Amino acid sequence: MDATESMMGRGREAIDMIVDPESFTENAIGAKTFDDPDFGPCAAVGTATLDGQTVTIIASDGQAFNERFPVVYAGIIGMEEGYKMAQAVYASLEADADKPKEEKRPLVLIVDTPGNGPGKVEEIFGMNKATGAYQLALAEARLAGHPIIAMVIGRAISGAFLCHGLQADNILSLDASFGTMIHVMPLTSVSRIIRKDLEVLEELSKSNPVFAAGPQFFYALGGVEELVDQTDKMRAAIIDHIATVRAAKAAGQDDTLGPWGRGALGAERDGRVVRPKVMDLMNQEFAAVAGQYAPQR
Amino acid sequence: MPKWNDLQGRSFLESNARDRAVGLVDEGTFTELAGPFDRFYSPHLETLGEAVEFDDGIVTGVGRVGVTPVFVISQEGKFIGGSVGEVGGAKMVNAIRLAIEFHDTLAAAHPDLTDAEKPIVVISFETGGVRLHESNAGLLAHAEVMDQLQKARGKVPVIAVIGSKVGCFGGMGFVAAATDCIVMSEFGRLGLTGPEVIEQEMGKEEFDSGDRALVFRTTGGKHKYIVGDCNYLVADTLGAFHDQIAELATKSLADFEAMRRIGSPEKVAQQLRGVALAAEMQPKDARDVWAHAGNADPVALTDMPLPDFLAQVKRLSV
Amino acid sequence: MSLNTLTFSVKGDAGAALKAPVHHGVVGSGDMEVLMEPKAQDGAVSVSIVTPVAGFDDLWKRVLQTFVSQSGLSDAHLDINDNNATPAVVLLRLRQAMTEAQAN
Repeated sequence: MDATESMMGRGREAIDMIVDPESFTENAIGAKTFDDPDFGPCAAVGTATLDGQTVTIIASDGQAFNERFPVVYAGIIGMEEGYKMAQAVYASLEADADKPKEEKRPLVLIVDTPGNGPGKVEEIFGMNKATGAYQLALAEARLAGHPIIAMVIGRAISGAFLCHGLQADNILSLDASFGTMIHVMPLTSVSRIIRKDLEVLEELSKSNPVFAAGPQFFYALGGVEELVDQTDKMRAAIIDHIATVRAAKAAGQDDTLGPWGRGALGAERDGRVVRPKVMDLMNQEFAAVAGQYAPQR
Repeated sequence: MPKWNDLQGRSFLESNARDRAVGLVDEGTFTELAGPFDRFYSPHLETLGEAVEFDDGIVTGVGRVGVTPVFVISQEGKFIGGSVGEVGGAKMVNAIRLAIEFHDTLAAAHPDLTDAEKPIVVISFETGGVRLHESNAGLLAHAEVMDQLQKARGKVPVIAVIGSKVGCFGGMGFVAAATDCIVMSEFGRLGLTGPEVIEQEMGKEEFDSGDRALVFRTTGGKHKYIVGDCNYLVADTLGAFHDQIAELATKSLADFEAMRRIGSPEKVAQQLRGVALAAEMQPKDARDVWAHAGNADPVALTDMPLPDFLAQVKRLSV
Repeated sequence: MSLNTLTFSVKGDAGAALKAPVHHGVVGSGDMEVLMEPKAQDGAVSVSIVTPVAGFDDLWKRVLQTFVSQSGLSDAHLDINDNNATPAVVLLRLRQAMTEAQAN
């Protein structure tokens, strides 16, 4: 791997590599402005054009540090960041509230985050709500018709990836040659905690992508739609996926998108094959008793 | 299976996932879906040579409270910490999806469907989140659950009940936060990053996870009730949780929307007032927040019996 | 590194046949679960045990033999998921399962 190629910590540069030249306006989405420059600095939000169309950008800023919440730096999503990102989504919904479904602006998530704010103050005030708030907002925008594309450029770690990425319609990732990290935990930590030899886990991960760390394993499980092998292909890939997602939504194929769509993709790629079987069985079992639970009148 | 009447008096904290599932709904109404006799255990644990369980540690099914159909999801903390993998995750996702689908079927068949006749979902959390043995599949299942929770909005109220040993942490911490209503006992614990993880990542200065009292003050039911992160604090019996669910089951969607913490620009604006307070206060201890909420003697709240606590506690308003 | 499956059969006296299937237990550390189902097979109780621990086949057989002769169970199939349960715990869970089966 060419180390200079890594995009880790370079969320702001990635914005410029992806959107139309000079088109990014930070801290303004529709009528909403973010006026406090110190608010949620590890998330950069704003509006740009991409191939001429207006898009909302929500990007991790790996170089920032939140002075009010010292556990939040290097792209960590703290409470301010989570709510700021949620506000960026709601501002996009609001801006296009009167537009027909096919004209809702896309949201591009640039993902390089190692975690959610791990601090005592965060737990006292409920970090879980901030990360949950952003996910619900994204899901709402996705279901309202906004195409949402996540582009993983560096770290997409566990709960922070759930927060910033996994609610997108489609997820793209720079491939492993960029040192891209998608995982819950590195395999070394998994090995220590579940008490299995690292060598054995590495060997097993060749045939089963379910616990190993890396974008290729998420691809195999249907957790990532496409791997991108060059940074200068990110822009075109995102433009493509916006078009595909828009077409799917116009055709009423929302079930092929987002977390649910990736469930089907997981089975298609032979990554998660038990999931649909369990669901089918539950459906059959419920159908057999549903009458008992309907109103009796 | 113990008798339903016996279960009602049983400690919620001590009850296993199946007893909770049966006891949270009315007597004799619970039908398990993808239960142990279906033998859907985790293929990934099997590959790793780890013990498996026939329900993969999550009990899913449907029951009734009064006239309300209740889709139940109940996590078993004794099985690998209630962790969520491919099978258990799929059960969880599909239970919510079935509730939404059933709502749509009933609404189409009965234009006059009452609030009480609409299905609800009850999730009894006991989990640290993703199962590391199948972490990638577990993570993807979490995203699916969040998606279903948003899809349930405006149709199927989702109630979180938290009062089991393991608490509710990790990704399931924000799943709980994203539900409409949270019911806890004082022994319930709710958070995102567990105290051990915070200590490991940020050091003992940040969070001394060995200080059990501090851990409980920060994540426990009483604290969550004071800061508004849980709606109802009930006694530690299955019956108390059942009765709370029965009371909630007749409420309207608007009532549930009002109980939410997050899920709209207005709710986010309100939470941000709390965040501003956090920045200003920089509390060292949950008790600082209790005092700020107007509780003159916060220390006394910890050991106060529940009825007294509920009668006199001041809750934070921002 | 995979799970071990141990299957065998114990001769049961014609006696307490199960009326209905029963599930009991949680596969916690040092614990187990069992599915007991009626199965007509000339009184025999067949057993299938899935466990991460290898090398205790004879012990399992003795424990199950003890359970079957004490309980009088016959014509049944038992599926056990084990996670290092001690013989005492195994016997306890099996007896509890039997009690539940008879109460239902």
